[in-house]
Amino acid sequence: MTEAAIKVEDITYAYGDLLAVKGISFEVQPGEILGFLGPNGAGKSTTIKMLTGQVAPKGGRAQILGADITLDDPDIQARIGVCFEEKNLYLAMSAKENLDFFASLYGIKDPDSLEILRRVGLADRAKDRVKTYSKGMRQRMMISRAFINKPDVLFLDEPTDGLDPVTSASIRATIKEEAARGAAVLLTTHDMFEADELSDRVAFINDGVIVAIDTPENLKLKYGKRSVKIRLRNGSGVREETVALDTPQSGELLKEVVGSGEVLTIHTEEATLEDIFIQMTGRGLVG
Amino acid sequence: MSLTRMFKILRKDLALGPRSPIFLWAIILPFALTLILQVAFGSLFAAKPRMAVVDEGASEITASLRKMDGIELTVLDTPEELKKQVKANDVDAGLVLPRGFDDAVRSGEKPLLELYIGGESLSSNRLILSVTTLDLVREVEGTAPPVDVRIENFGNEGLPVSVRLVPVIMMYALFIAGAFVPSSSLVEEKENGTLSALLVSPVKASEVLVAKALLGTILAFVMAFMTLVLNNALGGQPLVLVLVIVWASAFSAVLGIVIGTAAKDSASMFTLVKGSGIFLFAPVAFYLFPEWPQWIAKLFPTFWAIDPIWQVAVLGKGLDAVWVDLVVSLGIALALVPVIGVLSRRMQRVLVAE
Repeated sequence: MTEAAIKVEDITYAYGDLLAVKGISFEVQPGEILGFLGPNGAGKSTTIKMLTGQVAPKGGRAQILGADITLDDPDIQARIGVCFEEKNLYLAMSAKENLDFFASLYGIKDPDSLEILRRVGLADRAKDRVKTYSKGMRQRMMISRAFINKPDVLFLDEPTDGLDPVTSASIRATIKEEAARGAAVLLTTHDMFEADELSDRVAFINDGVIVAIDTPENLKLKYGKRSVKIRLRNGSGVREETVALDTPQSGELLKEVVGSGEVLTIHTEEATLEDIFIQMTGRGLVG
Repeated sequence: MSLTRMFKILRKDLALGPRSPIFLWAIILPFALTLILQVAFGSLFAAKPRMAVVDEGASEITASLRKMDGIELTVLDTPEELKKQVKANDVDAGLVLPRGFDDAVRSGEKPLLELYIGGESLSSNRLILSVTTLDLVREVEGTAPPVDVRIENFGNEGLPVSVRLVPVIMMYALFIAGAFVPSSSLVEEKENGTLSALLVSPVKASEVLVAKALLGTILAFVMAFMTLVLNNALGGQPLVLVLVIVWASAFSAVLGIVIGTAAKDSASMFTLVKGSGIFLFAPVAFYLFPEWPQWIAKLFPTFWAIDPIWQVAVLGKGLDAVWVDLVVSLGIALALVPVIGVLSRRMQRVLVAE
């Protein structure tokens, strides 16, 4: 069995008296994307801060690539990549200067900064100062910086937050490429579609606790309610009926609705991750 | 601690420096202060009195004038040219020494001496040139002055104000470049979040702090040295001078790191700098006012960094006169290291909490 790239056992963290992370445990395998799904303040970013060595857990233990995170080992730090939610770039430097500088900190002698910038669509602006970049360009720049050392473990904190759909899709594609290369990816997001599209598994985190962790499909099967939405002609208008599929009467009910008029459309519907999250925690993913 | 990573950060900071207003301010301020103070007190741009001479007979007076450092001498060929230059204010005064003048003086003939004074010349220069001329004539005559002169000093004896202002400029050069530049650079990294980006890479917080301290030390050394050059205060022992400047620069950089790690953001950094400014700069007032009790200056930590420079650069003393200062300032700097450690850990906690 492959050793987990990220192994977390019962870690906790508190800001003063406020317990932000309450003993969570999970693992991420090489090449796997684990989506950390939860609303703001749920403990997602704090978990990343602990795992990236920015802060020591108050309890429990965690290993990155087999090394305890509290050791603050530069060799391990050299094998991780972090994309922060905050756009923390050197604005007075160009994109290439930013990447070259961070590459030098990782001991990379001849970084292929232009190739990395090309992957995120910034090669033609490589020599421009980052302060002239749009929000989307800066986010792509953040992603490219996280990739500069070809990391074995990637921590991505809200990588597409506030971006337009085209930029988001481009960034998601790049994240998939990294996972395909073998990087373990811990992705925090409160975007259910992103989590669903990218994640091999998702962990629902709420109020510092993981309430569920599984593949999106399994979560939907386990917690979701399937239904069929039928639109029928109703005289000069249209009426809509929804039939749940997970009850003993579903077949009879479906037959009855379909036979009650001219069917215009029939769509199967499955629960979204957000529906399941709300069902499990009683709160939404945003806010 | 990796020296390589430290120097990468230092190189980045040096490259970004010219793009930072505070960095540029640190460079310009000591030069501007030097210029302003020198203009005000006159030592840098105070021109020497200018004397022109037409010497028709190889007078001893001309030879004596040539030897005087304090007078700028021009020897001309004709009285007409001399008068023209005096009128044009090209010289402050002009002297025509006729053939046989020295012999005539020695024989007691009281020959006519023509001295032309420029109407636009400074009174002080006219006085200097007139008195000097009369003294030189008396030397030629070979007689003693008719009176004994008793000289009594009023006011502060010793160094002129322009020299006593050197520590003021030095403090600006050292502490703006040495303390303010690294602290603002560190605070900027905190505010922009780039410090967090550095700390999740293999870089350690200690490497960032040492790199910033080196930035301050280098910049402060260059600025302090240049300031001393501009003020013509390099003393007589260049190696000792370099040592004390390097040490004072490092000391100010340590203070800068304390401020930088303690300050949460730019606003709190400026508050700290303003709040501690009087405390940091207090010792230089005692150089300006030597009649004040000098022991009070020693209560301020920065005295122990600035005083060795004063002793070596201005008073021309050697290492034997400043080693106590250096040991005391080393003790203060070492005492600040654990303080920086505590502040650094607090800084990282604050970064994470944001």
